[in-house]
Amino acid sequence: MNCDDYRIYLPAYLDDELDVAESLRVQKHLAGCQDCRQTEDEQLALRSALRDADLRAHPSADFSERIEVVVREAAKEEARSRRSSRFEFLRLESFGWLPAAAVLLVVTTIGALVMKSFQSSHQQLVASAVLAGHIRSLQPNHLIDVPSSDRHTVKPWFQGKLDFSPPVPDLSELGWTLVGGRLDYVDGRPVAVIVYQRRMHNINVFLWPNRGSTDEAIRQEEAQGYQILHWNGAEMTYWVVSDLNNAELLEFAQALRGH
Amino acid sequence: MRRFEQQISPHLKSAYNLAKWLTRSHADAEDVVQDAFLRAFSAFESFRGDDARPHNAKAWLLTIVRNTSMTWLKRNRNAGATLGFEDAAEDPRERSPDPEEILLISCDREAVRQALEQLPWEFREAIVLRELEGLSYREISETVGVPLGTVMSRLSRGRDWLRRILSTPGPSSPRKELA
Repeated sequence: MNCDDYRIYLPAYLDDELDVAESLRVQKHLAGCQDCRQTEDEQLALRSALRDADLRAHPSADFSERIEVVVREAAKEEARSRRSSRFEFLRLESFGWLPAAAVLLVVTTIGALVMKSFQSSHQQLVASAVLAGHIRSLQPNHLIDVPSSDRHTVKPWFQGKLDFSPPVPDLSELGWTLVGGRLDYVDGRPVAVIVYQRRMHNINVFLWPNRGSTDEAIRQEEAQGYQILHWNGAEMTYWVVSDLNNAELLEFAQALRGH
Repeated sequence: MRRFEQQISPHLKSAYNLAKWLTRSHADAEDVVQDAFLRAFSAFESFRGDDARPHNAKAWLLTIVRNTSMTWLKRNRNAGATLGFEDAAEDPRERSPDPEEILLISCDREAVRQALEQLPWEFREAIVLRELEGLSYREISETVGVPLGTVMSRLSRGRDWLRRILSTPGPSSPRKELA
């Protein structure tokens, strides 16, 4: 190492961020190199200048209060929406009571059918929530929050909205067009939904980190004209819902899983 | 809700400080922090906070704040200029001093503040997280999403840059005139 190399290590040395061996090496070099010792003095002076200057910016008291209010409101809102999603799956405010009841009936019926085919009760709940999410997404303006066919737009959009970064593979060469993404709430947590299309058939891919065991085998169910596919990847749990035919959707799932 | 107020809310000052230094504007910083707190709140349920290591909550919140700042700046203004890739002062390395020259670091608070404000985004961010927020290199690496070695070199280059902006020639050796 020459002096330039040591100078890169010097701040880390002064910050006590080097391991013992590296620290000793820098120490030894400093002992024998006047130029680097001068740099060390300057770095120390700079550090105290930075600390003495008291550069931290402080939020105003009004602003701190505002944030407190904003967080409280968000908590109230979340409690409300959780209550309603638990009992209804669908937002009743957005349309009249009667059609809402009709849709609710349909969704519960479909849900019940799905439940029959999935064995564990937890999976039943997730399956019906995913299906309800898919049906809800087909209502006007519910499909996507971020419309884009560019994976480099869709993927970063999730930043800060989720505690994980969902993979958004580009499958356009295989004939699956990316149309966008949105957030949904499934299985007691916010999840990512990536939306693909083929010939005007929407495919909703629900995914979130897999905390259980890995099971790459694709389970396939049909409920009232919708195909539901599910597998537990090494990192993510996937649920795929579409009205596309069974064979093509399986092909899609395999393309997605292989990516 | 209570857990959020216990673990995240205490870091409001750090969040504001980081946002202020990244956006270089009081009004922008307030917007960014408000947005970041809402994002943090909606993602909080999945954040596994560890009571034994309260620093994690801070690093987690600051990650959201820096990502929000970045998105916010890109959306609201000319990204290149605001992120400091274009309007940054010329690299002070250009006026390389005589090696024999004794340098004094200016301790004037306003000069230090201005120097830090001039730094390009990624160096400014690293220095604010280290010097003003006291994060460890590892925490900075997680917050910013770059390897440890990159943190080390950004801090090193950033400090070097500051040192040169703030250096004034000592009385015994007047600065050479640049041709």
